[in-house]
Amino acid sequence: MAELDESGSKLTIKLVYYGPAMSGKTTNLMSLHDVLRPELKGEIMTLETKNDRTLFFDLLPLGIRAPSGLLIKFKLYTVPGQVAHDSTRKAVLSRADGVVFVADSQLAQGLNNAEAFENLADNAARVGLDFETLPLVVQYNKRDLPGIVAEQDVLARWTTTSWPVVFASAVSGLGVRTTFAELLRRVYRAVDAQYQLAAAHRLDEDRFVSAAVGGAD
Amino acid sequence: MEVYDCINEFERDFSLMELLGGVDRARLHAALETLLGCAVRLLDRDGRPVLGSAHAAGGQRLALAVELEPVGYLEIAGEVAPAAAQAAAALMAMILRTGARYLMASSLHLHTVKSDYEELQRRHEALTASEARYRDLAQHLEQRVAEQVQTIDQNQRQLYQAEKMASVGQLAAGVAHEINNPIGFIKSNLTTARQYSAKLAEYAAAIKAGAPPAQLQQAWRQLDLDFITEDFAALLDESIHGAERVARIVADLKDFSNIDRSGTEWTDINERIRSVCNVAATQIKGDIELVLDLGEVPRLRCDAGRIGQVLMNLLLNAIQAVADRGRIRIATRPAGDGIAITVEDNGCGIPREALSRIFDPFYTRREVGAGTGLGLTVSRDIVAAHSGRIEVQSAEGQGTTFTIYLPVEVN
Repeated sequence: MAELDESGSKLTIKLVYYGPAMSGKTTNLMSLHDVLRPELKGEIMTLETKNDRTLFFDLLPLGIRAPSGLLIKFKLYTVPGQVAHDSTRKAVLSRADGVVFVADSQLAQGLNNAEAFENLADNAARVGLDFETLPLVVQYNKRDLPGIVAEQDVLARWTTTSWPVVFASAVSGLGVRTTFAELLRRVYRAVDAQYQLAAAHRLDEDRFVSAAVGGAD
Repeated sequence: MEVYDCINEFERDFSLMELLGGVDRARLHAALETLLGCAVRLLDRDGRPVLGSAHAAGGQRLALAVELEPVGYLEIAGEVAPAAAQAAAALMAMILRTGARYLMASSLHLHTVKSDYEELQRRHEALTASEARYRDLAQHLEQRVAEQVQTIDQNQRQLYQAEKMASVGQLAAGVAHEINNPIGFIKSNLTTARQYSAKLAEYAAAIKAGAPPAQLQQAWRQLDLDFITEDFAALLDESIHGAERVARIVADLKDFSNIDRSGTEWTDINERIRSVCNVAATQIKGDIELVLDLGEVPRLRCDAGRIGQVLMNLLLNAIQAVADRGRIRIATRPAGDGIAITVEDNGCGIPREALSRIFDPFYTRREVGAGTGLGLTVSRDIVAAHSGRIEVQSAEGQGTTFTIYLPVEVN
């Protein structure tokens, strides 16, 4: 749920990267930190354990300014993928404005992907998010690895849903910007009416996305 | 249900003072002034000084950002090289970011611990409630079991009654015929006897009137009284015999049907078998040979009516098994501290796959309506109630043998 600060000069939008353990959520954030050129880009803050497993979350702050002067601050979070950290996942997911579900393309990870997606739906309901209308993009990551599920199989499975699918290789940066841009478009449509982005702040969808992504893909 | 209607503590904007919460501010200030060689101040995001004295005002101001926007400012009073000033601001930002990481991690940790604890409490309450339910159930279990036992007992009695009614129904038609037959000829005999007595009365009237012997002799011949006196005795004998037959059938039937007579009595099983055979005799049609091979056996203390019901069940089954042609043998012999009763037939036998199920309630291989499927179930229960057991051997197409073992006295 986007937050407008007291003075009305800053709108904070929360985006969450969700998915099974080791699917590359943190790698997505690191890659975004490298490839995005928004007006304002903060340092990536990782709260991880020694062996690369996220314990609490990672946070990447980004910022753009609307022609009206409104600062729009994006806070990109990752959740810990390990099953045991469900309370943390719920806390991080709460009040999210959009979600990227990072699935692991490796054939052996099908069940983990399904369980994590189910967990996302369950937790969304528990924290009071309407999963039907929540802006969501599905990313199939690790396309660079051998032994991965075929693209047509992935598409056949997801085309019946309303969620777009993006193929990515976060470790090389491939697809992470597209994923983020897809999510931004959906988030814009969800928050525009409430915060009058176009009407009061003269910020349309294309500008919203291009300002946050910065430069060409 | 957890409440997520306000922003999480770990996500809010922390103030400069909060971010410096874990730092010895006096030493930080001293270190900054030593590094830069001049007075410095730290201001919060609204420009209010939080560290350093007022005399440093007026120097260069560098923004300190943790995420994007400044959370405070580093103010340097003296002439300092821009690179050194930038380095000092970067150093401060790193310190603040470390503080932010700590604050976010600790508040998220607190949040999850609290929600996990609340969840555990909810589960604990649910468990306590369910434990109370089970304790309550346990307390009432004995009473509920007693009620259930009573219900089962009642159902079983109804079942026995139903089975008895079915056997009685099967017998009734045959018994009716068997009673009807003697009643028929007794009635016909009595009609004839009335005609005979009329003729005798006519002859008696002639004697009373003082008719001469010649006339009387003529009347005797005319009335055919030679035949009448002979036949009168014969038809009376026949009628008495018929009446005795009816009386015996009624007595056997009464014996058999009187199975609700409570309690046990000392019973001659052989006599009981004969009585059952008499009642069932009405069912024996065609070329069926019934052989009784009754040995010297002790009297049993048993519920005679119910044991009779068992014997009747087995005999009727045997009659159905042999159809119209075959041999049925009922034998008794002493066995251990009781007796063994064998009901053997050379009828159709029971298929192997059905053999394990024949004592199951409502299992029947007869057509719908032809059997209750309870006969053998009830028989087994009655035998078990007498501390006995019932065994079956059968070969398809060759015949079936049921053997009942009964102790002399119920344990």
